[in-house]
Amino acid sequence: MNETTPDDIKPALAGSREPAVSVRSLTKRYGEIVAVDAVSFSLEPGTITGFLGPNGAGKTTTLRLLLGLAEPTDGEALVFGRRYRELEHPIRHVGAMLESGDFHPARSGRDHLRALAIAAELPQSRVQEVLDQVELGPAADRRVRTYSLGMRQRLGLAGALLGDPRLLILDEPANGLDPAGMRWLRGFLRRFSEHDGTVLVSSHVLAEVAQTVDQIAIIDRGRLIQTGSLHELTTSSRTLEDVYLELTGREQS
Amino acid sequence: MSALLRAELLKQRTTRTNLGLISIMLGLILFAGLLHSFALTKGVLATRDGQMHVFGWGGLGALFASLAGAISITAEFRYGTIRTTFLVTPRRGQVITAKASASAITGVAFGLAAEAFVIMVGNLGLRARGIPVHVHAGDYAQLLAGGAVAAALWAPIGVGVGALLRNQVATLVGLFAWVLFVEGLLFGLLANASRFLPGLAGAAMAGVTTTGDIRPLLAPALGGLLLAAYAAVVVTAGSIWITHRDIT
Repeated sequence: MNETTPDDIKPALAGSREPAVSVRSLTKRYGEIVAVDAVSFSLEPGTITGFLGPNGAGKTTTLRLLLGLAEPTDGEALVFGRRYRELEHPIRHVGAMLESGDFHPARSGRDHLRALAIAAELPQSRVQEVLDQVELGPAADRRVRTYSLGMRQRLGLAGALLGDPRLLILDEPANGLDPAGMRWLRGFLRRFSEHDGTVLVSSHVLAEVAQTVDQIAIIDRGRLIQTGSLHELTTSSRTLEDVYLELTGREQS
Repeated sequence: MSALLRAELLKQRTTRTNLGLISIMLGLILFAGLLHSFALTKGVLATRDGQMHVFGWGGLGALFASLAGAISITAEFRYGTIRTTFLVTPRRGQVITAKASASAITGVAFGLAAEAFVIMVGNLGLRARGIPVHVHAGDYAQLLAGGAVAAALWAPIGVGVGALLRNQVATLVGLFAWVLFVEGLLFGLLANASRFLPGLAGAAMAGVTTTGDIRPLLAPALGGLLLAAYAAVVVTAGSIWITHRDIT
């Protein structure tokens, strides 16, 4: 369960249904550095998975490989059984939010979304719908440079939701959110998964993760070192934080 | 394709980058046009070719169109929006083609604005010195048409160079240095071959031949074809390069 699995064994976290995400022996090297080392897991629809690990462990690289922004050195990363770059209109299947700063500072939030909607051939009405959904409100017509970090996170999430996807891939979405924003995000992800949506969310905020996700995958130095449901791994006397720090060996920092 | 083109045009309209570039361009043309109107001797400015030392500055439209094209791609790398752009359209070559097309369209505006403005500035400057203007309607038409086409072709070159270099400062400095410095050096060194350089191929379209030029430029149509070929090569190279790069 907690080792990377050969091809003939059911991959970590797999269920009985066709997976939304399936990663097999995924490896990425940059010269001598192995950023992602033979990682395998797959995610069943309707689940929320916390993707955890120290800084530089390979989380973001794994997400980029999954989204076709980088090419694996070895192995494969599939969404709905296909490589991301081979999907027709990918954002109608997969919504992604990578970094909170990915906006042109001089463009308004609304114009940012309008350009995405046009390029994805989505109706312009979707722009207002997602703006309402993330409660960005009147800020939508201001330039992004005036936004707080929390507002940028909401705009990033609005972009991820634009194509009404079935899979959300979120890199540190809780960064900069205030307590109300955190609660809102938690409720949102819960409803999304109840409607059979799949979520893969990386985070450092373990207390928040523990309240939100069904299962976790922990990566350290490029290797997947633990996977499983939150219930199996934690007890009332052994929190997610305890598990995480034990496994990553960074408690004495 | 047309959806991507519309998306790219919207991106260009929704920042003030192009407005800023046009303002700087017009300021430079005003400065260079007036400087040459007043600093050159009346003897030099007595002929049509001599007056092209003034009216030729409309060629800055092509340079600034290439800068606008370059910024349309390098700003995406600078601010990280390239990630979102490629998530929406993973076929990256299509994005580069759309940017090249959108920039060509805005490039026409740069070219027309530059040439119209230099015609005004040149007329004002020369008349203020009491020099009769020997540049006439046919010349103006060629300045405007040739300047617009040259700028429309230089804009995709900016996109291609931007896709190859990705770094905004390096790209903008590179384009500036090439047009205003390197081609000037090569003009001295390459003799007759220099007219095949992209900058001079563009100048050929606008009909800018100045006194002191011992070597003829290409015919306008040939200059246009050559410049289009340069643009096609650079955009294709940029597309291929970016398609096989990891985006970090």
